[in-house]
Parts: sequence; structure tokens; C-alpha cells
Amino acid sequence: MLTWLTEPLAIGFMQRALAAGVVVAGLCAVIGVFIVQRGLSFLGDGLAHASFGGIALGLLLGVSVDHATWVALPFTVAIALGIGWVLRRGKLGGDVATGVFFAVSFALGVLLLGMRPTTAPPVNIESILFGSILAISPSNLIVVGVVAAATAIALFGVWSRLAYATFDPELAALSGVRVRALEYGLLAGTAVVIVVSVKTVGVVLVSSFIVIPAATARMLGRTLFGVAMWAVAIGMGAAAVGLVLSYHLNVPSGATIILTLGALFALALAIRQRR
Amino acid sequence: MSGAAAVAQSGGFTQPDPSMEHILDVDGVVVEIDGRRLLDRVSFFVPKGEFVCLCGPNGAGKSTLLKAILGIQKRTAGRIELLGKPVAESRRALGYVPQRKTFARDFPATAVELIVAALRGKWPLRVREAEREKARATLRRVGGEALLDKPLAGLSGGEAQRVFLARALVTDPALVILDEPTAGVDVKGRAEFLELLSEISRSDELAAILVTHNIAAIAKTAERIVYLEAGRMVAWGLPDELLGRAGLEAISHQHHGDED
Repeated sequence: MLTWLTEPLAIGFMQRALAAGVVVAGLCAVIGVFIVQRGLSFLGDGLAHASFGGIALGLLLGVSVDHATWVALPFTVAIALGIGWVLRRGKLGGDVATGVFFAVSFALGVLLLGMRPTTAPPVNIESILFGSILAISPSNLIVVGVVAAATAIALFGVWSRLAYATFDPELAALSGVRVRALEYGLLAGTAVVIVVSVKTVGVVLVSSFIVIPAATARMLGRTLFGVAMWAVAIGMGAAAVGLVLSYHLNVPSGATIILTLGALFALALAIRQRR
Repeated sequence: MSGAAAVAQSGGFTQPDPSMEHILDVDGVVVEIDGRRLLDRVSFFVPKGEFVCLCGPNGAGKSTLLKAILGIQKRTAGRIELLGKPVAESRRALGYVPQRKTFARDFPATAVELIVAALRGKWPLRVREAEREKARATLRRVGGEALLDKPLAGLSGGEAQRVFLARALVTDPALVILDEPTAGVDVKGRAEFLELLSEISRSDELAAILVTHNIAAIAKTAERIVYLEAGRMVAWGLPDELLGRAGLEAISHQHHGDED
């Protein structure tokens, strides 16, 4: 049993995959608690697809897939702030705003990829869409680590105010919490987390890292902090278990992790039904 | 505060004695949004311990005035002061009970966390023992001590109302504002809640403003009524004065007189 667990971890790329997977899963899970609680589950999907537009823009500008992240980052943050602005105007629902931005920036991505000169090096679209956790380079890992540390510090700093604003923006504002700045901060932070996670789990699947752990944890935790702790544990646990499983079953890793998350969600649902 | 001397003013409405201690001053408040005047020179004051009902039909400007008092709606003109200072500087002296429909009922939290959040001005990661006792004592005042550790999601309408009242009272405010607190509550629950509120207002000399479109439901409890219509204050007086035939005529007369 122990060798079943340790055998894959003797390999360098599996070590990096595990580190990246676990950190990305924890990061997405904790952000996801706020996103899901605010009824913005669809936002993760929208921003992931927006990041595809950003990556495509980078590729058109002639940078490599790895470096395209640095183009995708400001692009996706701008889209996130745009969605936030539309949300605050209050005329359109969050799902509508996200749906529009999401489709437009994804289409833009496809268009930009098509505009690349025929002489440009070929791009593996599949790895952008579905991630390439087993191809994480040491430098990718450093970027993931730095973003995770920065996000954790920032979230810890604003936790109490963000939690209050998430509970009820009006009451929080009356207590002197700067609700608008926090909302924009959360959206921008989510965009950053998604862009660095896309390399690991891909455009299509990253939103499940945000939504499923939080949705599962909400059935288990009694306080917001408790929910966040559950979400992080579920996300990280599923990433580790899914990765090792995928190695032994010789199946795609990102998909196995998400199916593991889905199984945990079903389990929590069953536990709640029996209570 | 029945013992207060009263000064009769135009329109036959009895208003509080200006020499009483002022808790809230609303003076010539105008709010315009996109060129539309939602509040037009509204002026009144709330003396210490008085239970005021802010009434008027839908669209009269009650919510706008409420938001202006709370400091979340910018004024075009006029002055609003709580204990002689801008509301932003005396936030803890103001308790607020929002309309029940705005409560996030599926938020993972217990009653004690919600009450301590009002005490701290931010959401508690961990509740300290002293804060917990303060929350418990406040819940006891509203007859809801047993709700302390209950998840918010499991509270009935009446229970949630008590928890949110405790939340508003925990900072020992001088004024508490309630926005349609009895909307969606049955007649018995409404009467009980108003009785509780009136009792707390009396015993603690706590001023209260209750916002409602249903003047009849509140008339027995309120000590004073501020009546808005189309953005203007058309009456400020005692409940009996407004509910009688003469009062209704005076409202109608004054209102149309102003428009001429």
C-alpha cells in the first residue's frame, strides 16, 4: 500500500505535478469559498475562458506558451474587473455578464490563434484546454508557489472584512467595510489564481477546482472559516489522490483529480442526506 | 417618552419639544438622482428614547431617507446628524435591522458570529469569551438566548428577526433603525415583536425609527409618526392625529397646498 503511494513520487515530474496540483487545488478551493458563497460559480469558468483569449494574444505576439501567461494575466484581470463593473451597475445578472465576457474572449482567442502566421511554431491547444500537470517545469512551480503565498497572505489580511461583505454587503458597508474595493480585489485575485492554475488543469477544467471543493465543504462546515478549511482539505486531498490514481491507472491526471472531487461531493451529499 | 412637553405646529400636528436631547437631526435634506428629486427638504428630529414610525406609500421616499440617514445615499443638500455628529463618525451609536429579504440565509454562520460581527465591525474568525457573553446578554434582552449557537440557516422568520435585533442592539446604540421589520411575519408575531421593541425603547431610553408602509399596524406602538409622500414630509405628529379623519384631511390639504 505504501509503495503504491510512494512509487510514483520517486519520479521528478510526478513530484512537481503533486506539488503544483496540491498547491493549485488549495488555492482555488479557498478562493472558491467566497466565489460560491456569492453565487458566482459560473465566474471561474468565465475567467478561465477569458484567460484562453489572453494566452492566444500572447501566442500571436510571438511568445512561448509558458510566457503567454504574462500576457494572459493582465488580460484576464481586466476582464474580471469588467465583469465586476457590470455587476455593480446591477442592470445585468452575474451569469449574463460572465456569459457575455466568457464567450467573447474565448472567441477572440480562437480568432487570434487563427491569425498566427503559418510559419509560427505549432501550439498544443489540447494542453491549454485540458492542462498538462505532468509537464510542470520547475519555473512553473515557482510561479505557482509565489502566487499561492501572496494570495494566502492577502486573503488572511482581508478575511474578516471579505467575510462580512460576503454575508451582507449593506451591513458590512454600514460597519465601515470598503465593500467595493474588496469585491474588485476578489475578482482580480480570482483572475490571477485562475491564470496560474490553467497551466496545471487547463481552461476547461479549472473552474471545477474552484467550485467543487467549496460546494462540498458547504455541506460539512458550520462557519465560513470551517467551510474554508474543509474546502482546502478536500481540494488538496483530491489532487493528491487523483494524481496517484491516474499514474497507476495510466489515465489523464487532470480529469482523474476532478472525478475524485466529484466523488467526494457525492459522498458529502450522501452524508448530509443521512443526517 | 410620554412625559415630554410638546409644541403644536402648523397643520395641527404635535411635534416634540425642541429643547429635548436630540438623537437624530434631519435638516432640509434633499436627494436628487438623475435629475429626479426623491426627497424634498425633509426636516425633523428624533429626541432621546422616542419611538418614531416613518410611514408613507410605496415610492414616497422612505427607503431613500433611510439610506441617507445610514450614510449610504449621498445627499444633494441638507444635514443629517446623529448625536450632533455626522453619522460616519458615530456609527456605533446607530443600530440597523435590515429588511428580512436581504438576509443571506444560506451563509454558514451561527447567531453569535453575526452579533459579534456588529460588535467588531468585521466578521469574527474566532469569538472571544467576553464577546460571546455580550452577545448572549443582548440575545437575552430580545428573548432569544437559546438561539446563540444556532446556525442562521435553520432560524425561523421570527427567530431571525430577534437575532438581527440583537445584532443591532449589541453596540448599545442611541438609535436603532428598522426597515419593514415585520414584513412577511404573521399578525401575532408582528404584535409580539412591536411590543418587545417598544419595551426596549422605553426601558433603555433607546430612540427607534421603524420604516413601514403599513401605518395602521404600527399606530398603537409608535409615539410619533413622520409621514412622507412623493418625497415630501407631509406630516410629523402623534399617531392619533394622523389616523383620525382630520389628520388624513390635513395630510391631503398640506400636500396639495405645497404643490400649488
